[in-house]
Amino acid sequence: MSFITTRMKALPIALTLAAATAFTMSGPAQAFEKTPQGSVLVFGGRQPVPNLDPSQKYDWSTRMLQQAVYDALVKYEGDPAEIKPWLATSWEESDGAKTWTFHLADNAKFHNGDPVDAEAIKYSFTRTLKIGKGPSWMLSSVLAPDGIEVVDPHTVRFHLKEPYAPFLSFLPWWYILNPKEVAAHEKDGDMGQAWLTEHAAGSGPFKIARWQQGTLYGLAALDNYWKGWPHKTHPAGVIYKLMRETATQRAALIRGDADIVEGLSSDDYEVVKSMPGIAIEDHPGMTTFGVMFNTSKGPTADINLRKAIAYAMDYDALLKVYNGAATLEDSPFPAAIKGHVAVKDIPRKDMAKAKEYLAKTKYAGGGLTLDYVYVQGLEEERKIGLILLDDLKELGITVQLKPMTWPNMTALAEKADTSPDMMAVFTTPVATDPDAVAFQYAKGSWGKYYGSHYLDDPDLEKMIVEARQTAEWDKRAPIYAKIQERIVADQPEVFGMLANRRWGRRDWVHGFNFSPVHFTGEVDLYQLEIVPK
Amino acid sequence: MALYIGKRMAFLVVMLFGLLIVTFLISHVAPGDPASLAAGPDAPPEMVERIRHEYGLDRPLPVQLGIYVAGILHGDLGQSVRTGHSVLQDLSEFFPATFELVTVSMLIAIILGIPLGMLSAVKQNSWFDHAARIVSVSGVAVPMFWLGLMLQLAFALDLGWLPLGGRLGIMSTPPDPVTHLYLIDSLLAGQWDVFGDALSHLILPAVALCFPALASIIRVNRAEMIEALGQDYITNARAQGISSFRTVAIYALKNAFLPTLAMIGLRYGWMLGGTILVESVFDWPGIGLYATQSAIAQDFQPIMGVTLLIGANFMIANLLVDLAYIWLDPRTREAA
Repeated sequence: MSFITTRMKALPIALTLAAATAFTMSGPAQAFEKTPQGSVLVFGGRQPVPNLDPSQKYDWSTRMLQQAVYDALVKYEGDPAEIKPWLATSWEESDGAKTWTFHLADNAKFHNGDPVDAEAIKYSFTRTLKIGKGPSWMLSSVLAPDGIEVVDPHTVRFHLKEPYAPFLSFLPWWYILNPKEVAAHEKDGDMGQAWLTEHAAGSGPFKIARWQQGTLYGLAALDNYWKGWPHKTHPAGVIYKLMRETATQRAALIRGDADIVEGLSSDDYEVVKSMPGIAIEDHPGMTTFGVMFNTSKGPTADINLRKAIAYAMDYDALLKVYNGAATLEDSPFPAAIKGHVAVKDIPRKDMAKAKEYLAKTKYAGGGLTLDYVYVQGLEEERKIGLILLDDLKELGITVQLKPMTWPNMTALAEKADTSPDMMAVFTTPVATDPDAVAFQYAKGSWGKYYGSHYLDDPDLEKMIVEARQTAEWDKRAPIYAKIQERIVADQPEVFGMLANRRWGRRDWVHGFNFSPVHFTGEVDLYQLEIVPK
Repeated sequence: MALYIGKRMAFLVVMLFGLLIVTFLISHVAPGDPASLAAGPDAPPEMVERIRHEYGLDRPLPVQLGIYVAGILHGDLGQSVRTGHSVLQDLSEFFPATFELVTVSMLIAIILGIPLGMLSAVKQNSWFDHAARIVSVSGVAVPMFWLGLMLQLAFALDLGWLPLGGRLGIMSTPPDPVTHLYLIDSLLAGQWDVFGDALSHLILPAVALCFPALASIIRVNRAEMIEALGQDYITNARAQGISSFRTVAIYALKNAFLPTLAMIGLRYGWMLGGTILVESVFDWPGIGLYATQSAIAQDFQPIMGVTLLIGANFMIANLLVDLAYIWLDPRTREAA
């Protein structure tokens, strides 16, 4: 027995030694990563990039990397977001926004040295339209491949099927590819789709250095980027490291393993903002939160009930869900959208008015039960559901909170018959043109998650079409003012708030250039610089 | 023996086919549209239809099943709508990471669990036994993700001894793939620095993952050892003056080990399919994360590929345990 004990005593010692050896192998946590080429910035994000092909996919993480390796004719920059010349140095529209001509920079080069010319522009737009995925929906109704004309190597002209004033606002998301490089990697006529999922054929400020799917994506900066760099101290590279848990992101930021993180919870931001060496980027965003009604079926088809609910909602409580880092919507259009006007009569909590509207419905005596569907696991949406539950109790309305997976929610939204009474919806417009938001309330949006309202208002529909076909802004603006008022009058949703976009960053990261048109965690990597203390 | 193995293999194929049918039906009757999710929130109906057609999702269910089964017979597990890759390519990329994590984790559980269980039985009701019981009870009760987060906080954030997550340091380049297991590939390439890096990244997730298995091994092994130590042959061995170590570690353990082995086999199969929480906390790019992301996107073919792989792992682990039983126990050998 004593022999066993002696042997067993040795075991923990051996294990401790083994562990200690392993500990010494892991180096101390450092700030940004240093390489012979310079400092490499580490971005911690939750969402992977399964497909980098700009003709096939876009979401915030995908677009952030696409923006880094590709260029477009124009680019969104700044807050408020402005369209800046990029591959195109100038442009003009004619024929009442039906014809658009772009003049290209003569020094723009792809990563392999090939010039970015009008043929490349035509090829890239044609490719996206033919593949019919990703951003193709933005222009497919107004642009056909034969409507793209190469005037000369530095001039390209788009002949649209009909006047389309928002045309320019979508172009920043149509990236330009090198036709020769794509052709070299084409397989079975796939227009390079398989190859481009993890490779790039662009002219952007970065090129792909490493691609470890599910782990990290590494980019290397091009010192001789044709457009130059905004800062001399731009990073030598960027690593987008997948960090799926907010707790991991927070720990990585504190340890200095990550220089920027995007997915902290509201409480996490409160904790880290006072820590030395950490700064918080906190900006009013363009993502609206609304409780969408089904206006075509069930009790919420009655506008008076919708109004009653909108007036019963405690809007201040909404802001508290985000610890105050949010702004109430004063119009269906976020403030960053061109032509935004504050609508005077947008509902705020007023129980007298709520009861007044309820009295006009057949549910005046209460006893009504409504479903509130939200994304399972999204704590903020659950809390808002609880606010709603509490507020509507006074009207005799019972709210049933129904958490669901996102695919199940979108499946319900596909038909008016199954669309829930109330659905929690975050929506981010893809462009700053007002049409990007107005269209969400048109029939063309029915069946999409933001179109789960099934709003049918012929007058509104007419105004939306008229506005998008009007070229001059002076004439469009008043139409959009009316559209905003009309949408509020229709009350297809409880217009909630715009949660701030937040990032945590180490204080050696400078050049954070926020633009509200960017998606959730998206950052313009080109603008960043590292300034060591 | 060969006949027994042959029969078991045939049974395994039948079971896998059953699993395939059930998974196929469940994933296809669940609400949600993978084509719509892949097309994105703004896609018009014609774009959704194009994707649905491209991936054959517009065909009748029996036809889709037939195509899928025919593909499997040709070694094709289909294509992921989400990643655009073949499922086989994705699995070969993500499964080795899970396999490495689970294997190291199980090795830790075995290396610690067997001696701890044995010692608890030998020193029954002593302070050591009570301490081991605390470990075994908490191993079952403590949620893995919580333990993972606590380990991260203590060893990565506060002490800074170990990395937060991932398989390798951010600037490390993976070794040339031979087995796709970083520990082995780095040794094969003679890259000791990469080996050390991979090992240091493996410790925290492996410890978090091994805890429930460790607890079960301690409990089962302790109980079996107590029973074995009360048998006549042990009394006889002691009476003959055979050393305590030999009596306990050889005679008693060999008999007590069979149920523990069965439990290890089941646990190992289960762990290969149950790593999602640990993989999420430690950003371990394994099959658990791949399965979850595919499930969220309702990407049928990866879901089925993962289910088949996990099912096959579970069945193979059981088969190996049965074979080990035959090897260890002459009575079972005769029956087989």
